[in-house]
Amino acid sequence: MATDTKPKRGVGRALLAGVERIHETLDSYGLVPTVTNGIALLFVVWTLFPVYWMVSGSLRTRSDLLATPPKLVSTALTVGNYPELFAQRPAFYEFLFNSVVVTVGSTALAVLLGTAATYGFVNYEFPYDLGRFHLPFLVLTTRFLPPIVTVIPLYVIFDTANLLNTRLGLVLAYAAFNIPFVVWMLKGFFAELPDSIVEAAVLDGHTELGAFFKIVLPMVRPGLIAATIFTVINAWNELLFAVILTSNTEAQTLPVALATFKTAYAIQWELLTVAGTIAMAPVLLFAFLVREKLLRGFTMGAVR
Amino acid sequence: MVRVRYDDVTKRYGNEIGAKNIDITVEDGEFAVLLGPSGCGKTTTLRCLAGLTDPTEGEIRIDGTDITARHPKNRDIAMVFQELALYPHMGVAANIGYPLKVEGVDKSTRRERVEAVAETLDIGELLDRETDELSGGQRQRVAIGRAIIRRPSVFLMDEPLASLDAKLKVEMRNEIKKLQRELDITTLYVTHDQEEAMTLGDKLIVMNDGTVQQVGTPAEVYHDPANQFVAGFIGSPSMNFLRVRRKAPGSQRVVAADDATFALSVEGLPTAVDDTDPFVLGVRPQYFSVHQSPIDGAAKAEVTVTEPMGDEQLLTVRFDGDGREIAVRAPFDVSVTRGDAIWLGVSGERAYVFDVETGARIRQTELSTDTAVPTGSRP
Repeated sequence: MATDTKPKRGVGRALLAGVERIHETLDSYGLVPTVTNGIALLFVVWTLFPVYWMVSGSLRTRSDLLATPPKLVSTALTVGNYPELFAQRPAFYEFLFNSVVVTVGSTALAVLLGTAATYGFVNYEFPYDLGRFHLPFLVLTTRFLPPIVTVIPLYVIFDTANLLNTRLGLVLAYAAFNIPFVVWMLKGFFAELPDSIVEAAVLDGHTELGAFFKIVLPMVRPGLIAATIFTVINAWNELLFAVILTSNTEAQTLPVALATFKTAYAIQWELLTVAGTIAMAPVLLFAFLVREKLLRGFTMGAVR
Repeated sequence: MVRVRYDDVTKRYGNEIGAKNIDITVEDGEFAVLLGPSGCGKTTTLRCLAGLTDPTEGEIRIDGTDITARHPKNRDIAMVFQELALYPHMGVAANIGYPLKVEGVDKSTRRERVEAVAETLDIGELLDRETDELSGGQRQRVAIGRAIIRRPSVFLMDEPLASLDAKLKVEMRNEIKKLQRELDITTLYVTHDQEEAMTLGDKLIVMNDGTVQQVGTPAEVYHDPANQFVAGFIGSPSMNFLRVRRKAPGSQRVVAADDATFALSVEGLPTAVDDTDPFVLGVRPQYFSVHQSPIDGAAKAEVTVTEPMGDEQLLTVRFDGDGREIAVRAPFDVSVTRGDAIWLGVSGERAYVFDVETGARIRQTELSTDTAVPTGSRP
């Protein structure tokens, strides 16, 4: 602990002093790296164990998975659960397909509109002095209400517009609630771009639109990737809207399907773990592929 | 033949004036420098020509064609920005060749032209580098390369040397001048650095408060300033301004206007200030004659600071009984230190007279101040 930290009052101060004492004691035994690494390791286990349990569960038999005491490591692995899932629930393909369509569609829409909106907010003056309303903040206010509050009126609106139980409906709903995130994640990136870059591009022969696509977007790529991943994860995981706005395999997504494995009579654990693993895999793979860009995207806009 | 003409151009930002009644002409192949303090409207004036700012009023013509409403990309203008604005996601060669790429020039021709430009700018070996691996001076060259590769008809530069250190600045200055001569492209260059302006420009356009104060060659604006602003802005250290009046009507002797604390004789003052009304006398630091003993017509002053500069020294002095300090440049062999008394004389040919109220120049031969209005400005 830094000794120049401002003294705090009461409990905070005592706590700080206690932590500093512990740190000093550990330091005198040369244990600081061991302890910090130990804490980090605990965190990793805490985060990854459920993932491990699910993935390994998908490769076990039901009895092996539910054995008492629990077996942390199984010796009898099988891939049989995977074909079993599709055999028992042929509709799983449809859920998967719906999820992919809704996620890709809503992400494309949210990122496209959000990026264009942010660029406008940062670079253009709005007519009638609309800028005084601090428009990006207004965009964010759409997320102030708990989703459960907005989903009821949305249901009524979708009912009237014939969007209930359609993939398009979910695409629109997800895009709408992801746009504020895209705007606020990209705002810092656009604000950092010097005006002269766009002006240089215009003088080099681009139209404003050309400069936006050829010069501006490549320059904010880390932010775009981060915003895309964030949107993908949001859309892929979303359950509440999907449960209420869809009613059958026409438009239901994976999270809705996963919920159906738990019925009043039983929970099909071995199939649920398979479904969960399949649901998790694409997002995990995507995030893994762009991990460096993702990290840059999350830190760049914020730090500067 | 590319002639740029601003015809009564005004730019307002709401109620703020960016540039007002700009009326200037830059001849074919000429190197014109827009010079003035920050916020004087010089960059606004330049941006109006580039098309990055739309003038509120007036027209801008290139070779007689009105281009005021034309999109920047269709003006055949290239610009080097203060921040250089290199594209960070492209390498050096891609940056220089980008305008050609947008134009649709094929790859091999592009490569040839990029190499030729890089050769001219002496950055041939940097073409395969990334822009963030370059030094300040190298980035500068890349920015210039990107601007000249298209062979634009007009070349604009907005304080391109502002971020360079002093030595590099002088070096790049010479190169820009040489390059402009070789390419023979009509050029407008914005700077607040009067030394840069004097050394680069064929023509200086001195601006202040959004208006043009004077247009002329470097020698003209230095030796024949149109008003007190130009006189004070051009030259380093700045011209001294003394608020004085004639001791008596028609007298060759002037005294401090308010309290007559010092007296100087100045010959050949304009007849317009014959009376004992106050006026401003402007004298550059190097145009005082410095004496170490009393001499008729010279004013006594006390040395407060000495700054030796090799061949000469810069003295800060104060007239007896007067609080204001003035700068005087004296030969190195005048041996004075802080607290010493010196006597300052002024030659009439080297002194300028300005109106106390308007700052307008009052000339030797003229009877009224009306014609002392700077060319190119409409007050």
